[in-house]
Amino acid sequence: MTNHTSTPSPAPSSLSVKIPKPRRFSRIAPDNDSTSSFFNSSDQLTDSPFSESHPLQATTSTSALLFGNENGISNLHIETTNSHSNVHSQLQTPLHGASYIPPWTEPYIIGIAGNSGSGKTSIAQKIVQELNQPWTVLLSFDNFYNPLTEDERKLAFSNNFDFDTPESLDLNLVVETVLSLKKGHKTTIPVYSFEHHNRTDKTITIYGANVIIIEGIYTLYDPRLLDIMDLKIYVDTDLDICLARRLTRDILYRGRDLSGCLQQWEKFVKPNAVKYVNPTMNNADLIIPRGLDNVIAINLMIKHIEKQLILKSSQHLKYLQTLDIKIRDLNEYNVKILPINNQTKGINSILFNEDTERSDFIFYFDRISTIIIEEGLHFINDFEPITVTAAKSYQYQGLKLVDDIVAISIIRSGDCFMNSIKKTFPEISIGKLLIQSDSKTGEPQLHYDSIPQDIQQNKIMLFDSQIISGAASIMAIQVLLDHDCKPKDIILCCYLSTELGLRRILNVFPEVNIVIGKLSNINDNADGSKWYNPENCKDTDWQFRNRFIDSLYFGTD
Amino acid sequence: MSVPSEVHKNVILLPQTNQLIGLYSIIRDQSTKRGDFVFYSDRIIRLLVEEGLNQLPVEETIIKCHGSHEYKGAKFLGKICGVSIVRAGESMEMGLRDCCRSVRIGKILIQRDEETALPKLFYEKLPEDISERYVFLLDPMLATGGSAMMAVEVLLRRGVKMNRIFFLNLLAAPEGIEHFQSKYPDIKIITGGIDEKLDEHKYIVPGLGDFGDRYYCI
Repeated sequence: MTNHTSTPSPAPSSLSVKIPKPRRFSRIAPDNDSTSSFFNSSDQLTDSPFSESHPLQATTSTSALLFGNENGISNLHIETTNSHSNVHSQLQTPLHGASYIPPWTEPYIIGIAGNSGSGKTSIAQKIVQELNQPWTVLLSFDNFYNPLTEDERKLAFSNNFDFDTPESLDLNLVVETVLSLKKGHKTTIPVYSFEHHNRTDKTITIYGANVIIIEGIYTLYDPRLLDIMDLKIYVDTDLDICLARRLTRDILYRGRDLSGCLQQWEKFVKPNAVKYVNPTMNNADLIIPRGLDNVIAINLMIKHIEKQLILKSSQHLKYLQTLDIKIRDLNEYNVKILPINNQTKGINSILFNEDTERSDFIFYFDRISTIIIEEGLHFINDFEPITVTAAKSYQYQGLKLVDDIVAISIIRSGDCFMNSIKKTFPEISIGKLLIQSDSKTGEPQLHYDSIPQDIQQNKIMLFDSQIISGAASIMAIQVLLDHDCKPKDIILCCYLSTELGLRRILNVFPEVNIVIGKLSNINDNADGSKWYNPENCKDTDWQFRNRFIDSLYFGTD
Repeated sequence: MSVPSEVHKNVILLPQTNQLIGLYSIIRDQSTKRGDFVFYSDRIIRLLVEEGLNQLPVEETIIKCHGSHEYKGAKFLGKICGVSIVRAGESMEMGLRDCCRSVRIGKILIQRDEETALPKLFYEKLPEDISERYVFLLDPMLATGGSAMMAVEVLLRRGVKMNRIFFLNLLAAPEGIEHFQSKYPDIKIITGGIDEKLDEHKYIVPGLGDFGDRYYCI
């Protein structure tokens, strides 16, 4: 016997969080078909943005094609997922103002089951590759094996432990993890080591997933998981072919010997497959015969997923646009706008002027951003009285700042503030968020986050040089709240903002503090605190609706 | 928005926010290390300079914006000159440069005469055209106002108009303000803090010690 560990069917990298490079048209499929379907679906949305009619119906005939497998099983489960109706009901009953439902709160969850060697992993990878979504998470059951006892471990090392029963997996933990991801929470996933047959002390943290693909032989086994998944796929490959693939993989790539592999197959893999895995086929929405070779089936499936995502994305957008309605008097919120005086007027003139040299632009932006930061600091009022010894042992009753301050910059627009924040607090921790709007639809997407530890105990200054639709800022604030920050601890600092964007942010997060350098209307009101357009203002009423500040600051125009 | 208040005519006091009091607590504390003292003094100085700049007139102008809009904005006239009273006043030059990159800076050296105990002018170097400029007189402390008043005399002799002089300081004593204003009512004093009084040795109470010594580490 070799001393190689016996593994059921570990994927090459058991869990991968794929973050593709932001691509401009990530939500649009390359061919004309799906582009037109995108417009169709958004047209439907205009009439009833949150209608519960499910577009799956449209694809019924498509799906049916996939079910002509030799077993004649016709288990076309088209269950209307209720994720969208959830959005609907939350919209109907906002607690106060509106609530923002970020796209990662309702990620699209795909489950892929099938026997060991059937090609699940390849299909999952293919989906990740084709979708090219900002955050697609591939979650493998391999991370959820129960840790073994000492005796079990000995069995495992001699190929005599049964890894292929459902009992070998911690299904409760899988359900817990997927539920947490579904709610949009930051979620930690264990890492299992087949070398030691135990959980390692490493974990993987996942946050902000748009699409979650769950892959493993028992994906369609637990009824609790079946309820959560939006699309259930079973890869139906003949067991002989599975064995052949398994042997090739284990012998060629994992250095095992033939007799060990066959022993494991005979003793555990095949009996369990017949007993437990094959019946889960009945739970699938979609059965793909012949695995990855079935190009037509896979393409149809990917088209379907894309359609669902486009629908989800346009609902998100549509929802963002409704956020400015029903808001109290803006002066009741914690909003400060720099007064219009000689200095701010002069600096604005230099920054707005298209003839301004870049060196001047940077210099004056640094100046006004320092003023904005100083103004934002006035929102922090947790000081404790101290007595200091001043000159000649005179006592001075002073104040000391209790909180620590952390800066979070929304890349790249917020980075324009970094010079000034370092000038104000040289040792400040700086976190980053990359939120980009899809250039076609304008939907904001979270691509990257790096948030300092223990951020929830600090005051947070969030930087964005321009607020236009407000979508990126709303998403950024939501990310902070998901990291347990409190809205009242967040100070959003921005140079140029539309009133509409501001209203949307306040509508969702009424407790957030905001400092604005200038509202993006061309005419200055004598009193800077007066609002430009109190009711029914539209996006188009605002000047500066494109981002120019970061382009000029960083010289990429 | 907290707006600086004109506590009495021509005395502008920065808003006494918790933030500002927090900064002053650091620089007043005698156990504060020099690095922190310099850093936090500079932060206050920048606020003073911003407030000073805000007092200057601008010229109305129409700006052609990005995205082909027009903005009824303002243009800086740029006729500014900083004048620092050597040595402590030089600590404020950096803050002025942070806001006006190419500002001209003149210097005046005034020392106490050992024999008469009165301030005496040792040296002055000012731009030729200073009479046409707005002048920011830089001295971090206004105690009795003796040297500042002598510096003002120098400026007036060079033809600077009184209402074009702005005296920027971090800390002022009420006696000093009164003394200064009785002689030069049209000069605006811009300060970050007004303390209780002067003690019998003419030091500000509670004060922050000798600003120049603490800033330049002697």
